[in-house]
Amino acid sequence: MPSAEDIRQRIETAIPGAQADVEDYTGGGDHFRATVTATAFDGLSRVQQHRLVYEVFGAEIGGAIHALALKTQTPSKTQTL
Amino acid sequence: MSASQFEPLPMTSTQPTPPPAPSAEPNPIREAIAEAIAEHKVILFMKGTPEAPGCGFSARTVAALQALDTPFAAVDVLPDPRIRQELSAISDWPTIPQLFIDGELIGGCDIVTEMYESGELAQALV
Repeated sequence: MPSAEDIRQRIETAIPGAQADVEDYTGGGDHFRATVTATAFDGLSRVQQHRLVYEVFGAEIGGAIHALALKTQTPSKTQTL
Repeated sequence: MSASQFEPLPMTSTQPTPPPAPSAEPNPIREAIAEAIAEHKVILFMKGTPEAPGCGFSARTVAALQALDTPFAAVDVLPDPRIRQELSAISDWPTIPQLFIDGELIGGCDIVTEMYESGELAQALV
């Protein structure tokens, strides 16, 4: 059963430059919530950004990982001027 | 001696025909899903029904659409696992719910909720 830390590491390893905050919001190791910030999302639609993250886990989404709630953003959006 | 003096090799006539690509096989469920997406301006594939959602993510997505007073078609994926399987094959999206507007995948619960809160969903529905 993956931990929030496992999920975070896998996202950050698979998407270069990504920074992920992951929470196991039921504590059961199968429902996660992640906020992922990556320059790789630049110029992509939200659907394409979420696909990049889903692809890290393949068939585990809907299987061992029952839910992975996502918020994706590019670094420029989080910068405060 | 130049190459043009050779007769063409008779190989093409004896080669077995390649098997048809998987997508060429009749697939009534996939076709029905594609047709439903094309025929409805707003269509939501969900677990359960808008009246009785079978999952919190589906419920939240329905609530966003209802808050905007949007008429939408809803398909329950639970009765037959093949619906979900074929839908995900078409949309390249692994989770349920999935909202389509004008034939295009808008996203799942997270994106729909985000777009509802930012006002983008109301714009997309115009």
